[in-house]
Parts: sequence; structure tokens; C-alpha cells
Amino acid sequence: MIEQIRDKARELLESKQISCFIGYERGTRGKTHPAFIYNPQEVGRLVWDESCTHNLTVYLHQFKNPVKRGEPPPRVGILLKPCDTRSLNVLFHEKQIDRARVYVVGLACEGVKGNGRLAGRCQRCSERLPLVYDLLLGEKPEPTGREDYAEVADLEAMSPKERLAFWAREFERCIRCYACRQACPACYCFECVAEQLDPPWMGIAIDLSQKQFFHVMRAYHLAGRCAGCNACEEACPMEIPLSLLNRKIAKELEALFGYKVGQDAITPPPLATFKKEEEVPL
Amino acid sequence: MAADFEPRIVGFLCRWCSYPGADLAGTSRIRYSPSLHIIRVPCSGRVDPLLVLKAFQDGADGVMVLGCHPGDCHYVEGNYHARRRYALMHRLLEYVGIEKDRLLVEWVSAAEGGRFAQMTTEFADQVRELGPRGGTQVDRAD
Repeated sequence: MIEQIRDKARELLESKQISCFIGYERGTRGKTHPAFIYNPQEVGRLVWDESCTHNLTVYLHQFKNPVKRGEPPPRVGILLKPCDTRSLNVLFHEKQIDRARVYVVGLACEGVKGNGRLAGRCQRCSERLPLVYDLLLGEKPEPTGREDYAEVADLEAMSPKERLAFWAREFERCIRCYACRQACPACYCFECVAEQLDPPWMGIAIDLSQKQFFHVMRAYHLAGRCAGCNACEEACPMEIPLSLLNRKIAKELEALFGYKVGQDAITPPPLATFKKEEEVPL
Repeated sequence: MAADFEPRIVGFLCRWCSYPGADLAGTSRIRYSPSLHIIRVPCSGRVDPLLVLKAFQDGADGVMVLGCHPGDCHYVEGNYHARRRYALMHRLLEYVGIEKDRLLVEWVSAAEGGRFAQMTTEFADQVRELGPRGGTQVDRAD
């Protein structure tokens, strides 16, 4: 598959259809990390294997603005896994990225591995095929997983006091490095509430209530927009289970409004719309 | 739980229905809970869930969000948005360990002074029952 990716990237770059190809390359210590290929001769740097966990759509935000004034923004090629294409659909819907400005090389994905085992989201993945692509590579593997929100249900079964203690233990570790926010394709506000000084929503003290406030705020802002790519949790140096928050919201939105994030670029997220005659259990 | 615990409740009241409703309760000399601290907002759709979160973070024991009845919004659709937002917010708060009985989202019209008073008193009792919001909150001097 990697040869096909490299050939396509070379072809796109040489024919000047795109100015940059975003993929993965191997770092100096053997781990994969994002690669930005501008020169067709460098496509050999590109790799693809099961350690390519990053959601590359987050880097598309860097290509939103024109390089020179008056020109259109650069067109980029990007390598995306099925879960990443959901994020891309969210960005299309929010008019952050023009469909014509990206060339999506979509991969049929068998799941990625972190720390030697299949990532949680891949175990639960029932898609395995990208939702939006210009070129599809690979054969569709048999989907094995199903999202059953088991871990979320475990937490729901606790008493409020236990849950409070659980989250206090988890959020206690947060160092407010904002890696979760930086890794998130849907977190692209120019000025994040966490750093807004007027009004000062959130303190920056090492204080549990402020850390908790930050994470609940972020989870809520991502309600109906989080595609479950789990980039936040993977970026977290303190291993806070942020996916438990995001999946809870995904679960509720599915139950309340029958909405699944990123299935297309047209349906508005449930909190951005309403129906007059609906019964919403408060 | 201290018997003399008096909860601090923040109420976000819509300017067109619920706030006049509270006003009516006042001018009609109906008693309602003194624990309620009312903040007047233009619309229940104005109440960013972050305001609720911020109130809890700053030590509120309960939060009320009151707006016009669905269909009666002065801005046509603000309370429909609020309805969806708080349906989710309730569940998220419950999930992070803030009991959902601490947040009340209701619709009160300008004519429902009695209902407002009754609802407020009942909600204050409910929050008093739950006790102070312990756990993550930092002690504040105020």
C-alpha cells in the first residue's frame, strides 16, 4: 500500500495539483509522526503502518489561509484513516475547509496500535472504510467491533460521589498543557475559552476545580463535533481518559437525537439546530 | 449534613417571561426561598452552559435556568436551543459527579408568579437535601 501512497503523492506534487502532502514518516526513534512533503523527490519519506495513530486533519487548519494575499489557499493532499474522515466531515460542515482544496487519500484501515495493542477506538470500530475520499486504497477489512459504550456504562453505574471521586483522581493529574486541545481537529478557536482574559472564564491555577472546569468545558464544546478520533487522549501526557467524556456525550446525542458525528458534511450537529415539536427529556 | 445548611442557588431568568414571573411573585407578596440569587438574562438561549458550569465551579450548590415556555420565546427560538443544550448538560453534569437534581431547567411565564415561588422553594429544599456540593470545590472566602 505504501508504494501506492508514495506514487500518488509524487504524481500530485509533480503535476502541481497540490502544494503539500500530509502523511506519516518515521522519526529518529522509530516512531511514526506527521510528515509534510512539499518536494516530489521526498515522497520516499512517507510510511504507513499500524503505528500511524495521529489524526492528520488537525494540520489542515495550517493550510486554510493563502500563502500570498489574493491567491486562493494552497491545495493539500492528505492521508486519512476512516475515523479521521469523520473529523474532516465536521470541518467541511463548519466551512473551515473547502472540499476542493483537499485531496483525500483514504485508507481502508485495519486499526492502529498504540503500545503494542489495538487502540480502543479500533476495537470498537464498525466502519473500516473512509467516508470521504478522492482515492481509496486497500480492501475493506471485515469490521469486527461495535460501539457499546461499555466503559461509559461502568462509570454511569457508580454513585455520584464515586464518580466525583473518580474524576477528581483523573483530573487531578492534569497539568493544563493543552495538548488535548492542540491535537484536536475540532478545537480551532482563535482564542480558546481557557486562555480568554476578557471575560476571565477560567483561572490558570493548579486547582482541581479549574482543571475539571476546563475538561468539562472542552467536552461540551465538542458535543456533536467530536468524531471520536481519540487524538486528545493519545496526546495526553498524563493519561487522562478523555475519551470517557467524549464518548458519554456521543452516547447521549445518539440516544437523544439519533445523531452520529461526521457521517456527512450536511447534517447540522444536534446542538446547532432544533425541532419545535420534539420532546426533549430535561 | 449540617441542619443549618442554606444552599446557594444561582438562577438565570429570562428577561421576558421568568423574570417578570419572579417579579409577580414579589409584588404578589408570595414567599419564596431566599437562597436564590437571580441573574437576569435576555433569553434562556443566552445562558451558555459555561455560565452554569462556572456557577458550580465558583461554589453554587444549585443552578436554575428558567425561560419562556416553548413557543413563547421573545426571540422565537432561543428556548428551543436551550432545551437541547440542557438536555445534554444535565447528563454531562451527572456524569462528572454533579447530581442532576442540582440543575433545574424549567419554563415559567410572566403570569406564573405562584408557580415560580413554589418551584423555587421546592428546588431549594431539594438542593438542601443533597447538601453542600463537596468534592472538588475549593474553599472560598466569600
